[in-house]
Amino acid sequence: MNDFVRLLAAWALVHESADEGWKAAVARGDKLAPGELDQGPEAFVDGLAALVAEEKEKLKAALASGDAAGGPAPGADLGEVLDALRFELAELRGRIESLQASVDAIATRGRD
Amino acid sequence: MSARGRAIAAVAIRRCSAAAWRARFGLRRGHLRREAVARELRLACEQLGPAFIKLGQLASVRPDVFSPETVFELERLQDSVPPVPADEIRAILQAELGAAPERVFAHFDPEPIATASIAQVHAATLARDYRPVTGGLLPAGTRMAVKVVRPGIERVIAADLAVARRWAGRLERLARLSRLRPVALLGEFETTLASELDLRNEGRVADRFARDFADDPLVVVPRVAWPYTTRRVLTTEFVAGWRLNDLGEAQREGIDARRLAAHGAEVFMRQVLVHGRYHADLHPANLFVTPDGRICYLDFGITGRTTPRQRIAIAQVLAATVYGDAERALHYSRELGLEVPEGKVPAVRAAVAALMRTHLAGREQADVRGFALGFLSMLADFRIPIPAGYGLLIKALVTVEGVARAIYPDIDIIAAAKPFATRLIAAQLARPERLRERAPAAIRAALRELLA
Repeated sequence: MNDFVRLLAAWALVHESADEGWKAAVARGDKLAPGELDQGPEAFVDGLAALVAEEKEKLKAALASGDAAGGPAPGADLGEVLDALRFELAELRGRIESLQASVDAIATRGRD
Repeated sequence: MSARGRAIAAVAIRRCSAAAWRARFGLRRGHLRREAVARELRLACEQLGPAFIKLGQLASVRPDVFSPETVFELERLQDSVPPVPADEIRAILQAELGAAPERVFAHFDPEPIATASIAQVHAATLARDYRPVTGGLLPAGTRMAVKVVRPGIERVIAADLAVARRWAGRLERLARLSRLRPVALLGEFETTLASELDLRNEGRVADRFARDFADDPLVVVPRVAWPYTTRRVLTTEFVAGWRLNDLGEAQREGIDARRLAAHGAEVFMRQVLVHGRYHADLHPANLFVTPDGRICYLDFGITGRTTPRQRIAIAQVLAATVYGDAERALHYSRELGLEVPEGKVPAVRAAVAALMRTHLAGREQADVRGFALGFLSMLADFRIPIPAGYGLLIKALVTVEGVARAIYPDIDIIAAAKPFATRLIAAQLARPERLRERAPAAIRAALRELLA
């Protein structure tokens, strides 16, 4: 039993250390200027950690507001398809309006 | 030979003689010689008028065919033409729209706001509400830009192209120039030019770009009013702003120029790597910065396309260039059609690494233009053919750097590209199909480490 609790404690310790390490990497990454990302593997990992943390915050905000744009959600593909169809339809309307203008112009010339 | 044919021949002979003298009859060093020839070629195009100016502009986006010196010289082509008289513009609008401009629009300004060799632009005001293909309603009274093709320009271009075809046929017989395939190349240019002369094509591309960037508050693409758009007339929203040439300290003060320049570079990368279509003819006249600090894209005559597979490879090449990894850049360039013969790989890799050190990593501010010029020249020296799309992309990247620097002179485009390139590669690696593809190898490697 003691061994099991110790195992859980070890797991919690690893988790806590990793969490602290992650937070420190994000903090260091935040301080990096854009040109400093290539100053070795540590700087790269810190920079990447900051980018991931930024994306995580966005995802968290999107989930909190019920907006599914931040991640895959049921029906997301359908929304995209509908959006694309709406655009194609609007494009088609534009083409027809342009053709109509040309037809009207030809008809006017014919009458003159 | 027709009078026009004789006039073209006279200009060609004069400019060839000037080029020969400037190149000291071939005695000057390689790139100085090519620069001298390129300069005279640009001057000849400017002197010969609209058709040749357009041919020169089309050649300026073909580094796969012409030397880097020629390509970068031809992008400076300028067409200074007198405006078409208001009566002639009025007649075209009457013929194209079926009514006088004063009846079609609430107001039409007979004085042009811009003139170019193919078309000129007039300001007008919408007479009634219009719902464009993207975004909200354009209410009556909205200021519009009406682009009108110059009268008779199709005839002038057709006549000049007929002369150019005869010359191309003759040049094709010269062994030194036959590799440029002048006849086939002219055919390609004619197709592009015909498409550019139908302004509806430009309107459709503008609508697509407007949709691609509808969610970007820093990007403006003027929307098209289709009832007032035909083959020879394109009516779009009018966007007030400064051309990049006119952007001085006073204008920069009111906007966040650094952020806008970096965003401009990211917008280009999104065009290439996310949407798969990009503005391939960016130059200072085609870009505006608005007083509220947004970038406005105009003139979608020349655009490039990328397939999903190419996008992955381009992202890898871009990331490799940004992080100075010559081997990786060459590896993924192969997927974009760049064939480096096996025997030349070590030398080419060393040359690319040296170029990266000289122009990108070893400087305070990266110099993409210098890198691209060196890279294209190096490929030419090794006689490695440049795939058309690959060349266009390199050229476009150089232009993006120029544009970003026009907005904010101290911008380092490579530093600005790093966060985007890193995010993109991370997103590509995290895709389920990519993970499935890489997982077995990763597990095997992990097991090897554990059992070692």
